[in-house]
Amino acid sequence: MASPRQARLWLGRAGFAALAMGLIFLRLLPLDTLPPRWAGPDLLLVAVLLWVVRRPGFLPVWMVAAVVLLADFLFQRPPGLMAALTVIATEMLRRRHMRLRAGGFAAEWAATSLAVAGVLAATQMALLITVVPAPPLGLVASQAVTTALAYPLAAIAARWLFRIGHRPTDSRRRISV
Amino acid sequence: MARPRHSGEDYARPIRRLLVGLLLLALLALFALWRIDSPRVERMRAEVVDRVLPSFDWALAPVTGLATMAGNFQSYAHLHEQNQQLRRELQQMRAWREAALQLEQENAKLLDLNNVRLDPRLTYITGVVMADSGSPFRQSVLVNVGARDGVLDGWPAMDGIGLVGRISGVGHASSRVLLLTDTSSRIPVTIQPSGQRAILAGDNTIYPPIDFLENPDLVRPGDRVVSSGDGGMFPADLLVGQVTMGSDGRLRIRLAADYERLEFLRVLRSHQAETVDETGRLIVPEPREVFGPPAPAPASIGLAEPEPDQAAEAPDG
Repeated sequence: MASPRQARLWLGRAGFAALAMGLIFLRLLPLDTLPPRWAGPDLLLVAVLLWVVRRPGFLPVWMVAAVVLLADFLFQRPPGLMAALTVIATEMLRRRHMRLRAGGFAAEWAATSLAVAGVLAATQMALLITVVPAPPLGLVASQAVTTALAYPLAAIAARWLFRIGHRPTDSRRRISV
Repeated sequence: MARPRHSGEDYARPIRRLLVGLLLLALLALFALWRIDSPRVERMRAEVVDRVLPSFDWALAPVTGLATMAGNFQSYAHLHEQNQQLRRELQQMRAWREAALQLEQENAKLLDLNNVRLDPRLTYITGVVMADSGSPFRQSVLVNVGARDGVLDGWPAMDGIGLVGRISGVGHASSRVLLLTDTSSRIPVTIQPSGQRAILAGDNTIYPPIDFLENPDLVRPGDRVVSSGDGGMFPADLLVGQVTMGSDGRLRIRLAADYERLEFLRVLRSHQAETVDETGRLIVPEPREVFGPPAPAPASIGLAEPEPDQAAEAPDG
């Protein structure tokens, strides 16, 4: 591997780490301490899925685990559960990212929406099975819907801000992580 | 196939799969550990929060301030109305202030007459709210006082007026306040004129319902709700709020604390705080020494040696 490519890779990873910290930071701001009626999108999950489909090289699996585990700790979620499920979902998407890129945006959106629904539903199931008090179902469902709806917007934003768009698959090689 | 193959990486894939499997196993093990031994992992969480949050601190305050300013700016449109309203309220408040001053003097006089000493341990530490829980499913805030300031788990936190929640998770320089609206918050309360005991159970809404009320007929909307001090959890007589009737016909509590603007919280040093430092147990009567029917005295049986099955049944007897 040439060293400029290596440098770009690490730059991309650092960029994602900064973005993830920014998203966590935004969610921690004590702006609204009232209990919500509906849950907004989980932007961190959106970002992880977007990057894994479009730039899997910038987001190695250990980084997914680290970022989501940190979020688990900071957001008072059961530690490790969401991280494990997100790793599973991203691994499934990562294996298909070539085909997803060839399939156009609709296929990508469908796949990521399924991943979001899968992660949230599996979290809820795991909490029920282990008899942990689970969040109300309505809130989780609204979060799944808003997260899925936020994906195209996040894709547009990522395209403008980070130049993360669709690219023809043959122009770059797969980077194994 | 659409997927290009690279012969040089073929050896790496099984190894990668193994590593991912190990990673998953580690994460799930952490979850299992949290499920089994929650206090230990929660302490770990408090430490992580303590490590990460101060690095955000320089940005949290100004960004929050800016956002609040933007919110205030929007309300400029109603400035005139607000001004009038405030003037009217001020007028009323003056009257109340006068009454409060008189009461304070009277109280001081009476205390002096009775030679009462206030408990010096009932003091408080004021902390600034640094961050909220970040999740729509959990209602808690982080304040910037922690073990450094002597904060202990279980201490109550109030804003200027009413009870807000209690400390649950203490780091070195930060601690988490579990709000009364959180789904896992349960507070013993007394409903004032009737003196009935009940439990305030948070359910992720701004009007938490009242549970375990013995006689709902004695309670009517508008009654004062204060903490009861049952179970040694909180000092008694901290103001919680007022009873209201929810649209579903349940009795709920309108909290006295201003949950829209939690900026400074007062953490009361209550002397005896219930701490949870071990995992949950079943509450059962003390185990008896012998399982099974009580062993008869050896003399009444008249046997030189006990039979083997009897010995197995009552090893202590």
